[in-house]
Amino acid sequence: MPERTDAERLERLLAIEERLVAAYEAGLRREAIEPGLGELLLEHEREHAAALRRALAGSERNPRATVPSPELTAALRSPSEFARFAARLERTAVDAYVAASAAMRDERLRQPLGSILACEAAHGVALRQSLGEFPIVD
Amino acid sequence: MAPSLTRREALGGAAAAVVLASCGGGDAPPPGSAEPGSGAGLITSLLALQRATVAAYGACEEVLRSDARAQVRDIRDDEYRMARELEIIMTGERIEIPPGRSPEEYARTFPRLRGPEDALRFADHLEQRQVRAYLDAITDFPFERQRQTAAGFAWRQGVHLGMVRMLRGLPVAEGPFVTGAL
Repeated sequence: MPERTDAERLERLLAIEERLVAAYEAGLRREAIEPGLGELLLEHEREHAAALRRALAGSERNPRATVPSPELTAALRSPSEFARFAARLERTAVDAYVAASAAMRDERLRQPLGSILACEAAHGVALRQSLGEFPIVD
Repeated sequence: MAPSLTRREALGGAAAAVVLASCGGGDAPPPGSAEPGSGAGLITSLLALQRATVAAYGACEEVLRSDARAQVRDIRDDEYRMARELEIIMTGERIEIPPGRSPEEYARTFPRLRGPEDALRFADHLEQRQVRAYLDAITDFPFERQRQTAAGFAWRQGVHLGMVRMLRGLPVAEGPFVTGAL
């Protein structure tokens, strides 16, 4: 169902960021991602999640329930499967940020969300590079 | 905290800003185009920036070799597609499409690229400029469909920036926020 308020949009983005954090934590724990890359992406996703929580401060919270993804469990079997899984999740995040940054009623939130969007775009590049996928431009 | 820049990087950034402004990135909307407040002036400026960037990547390609050259060509092709997409949107919205500049006019304004390092540094600053332009547009466009286009283009420019940084041997993203944080 499409979000109707800015707070609902931010909650949806936060849920995606939390999935990314959980994915990179698991990937690092299970050695499914190169540590340097995994730590960098995890740090960024944690910063994004913290920023979204700050933006939600003062709003009436309605957190979305998240459950461990069976896809993630399967993806942890190998670095290449994990990179593909993470790249798909990053793409989900990109699509959500594109829609949310354009739809935000609070103009002050649009550009910062776009700033995270551009960072997620770069994450996608790093993951595709780790898979040896070229060209990266679609 | 603001990222620190070396003098050479700062000069590269300044060169990119000057080049793109002189190539049309800072052009005022043409007279007779759609009404003020419609976003017509902004989309016209973005088209000028796209066209200048396509030309700038052409200059970069000339001094690059092998894999870097192939990837920069992919980026240039995508920049060209984005320019065409803007033209199609402008046609649909009955916004006058200004004529482009000749390759020679653009070339006169580019800095001298002595080798691959210069070209990739220039490309890095071009992409940073592009990302910022589209992020500004997300705020400034009056209509949601226009902002959605700007956000989609910001994503594509973020991909380009990540690729260029990768070619420079840098982490694909400098930090968690490409511009201002929440």
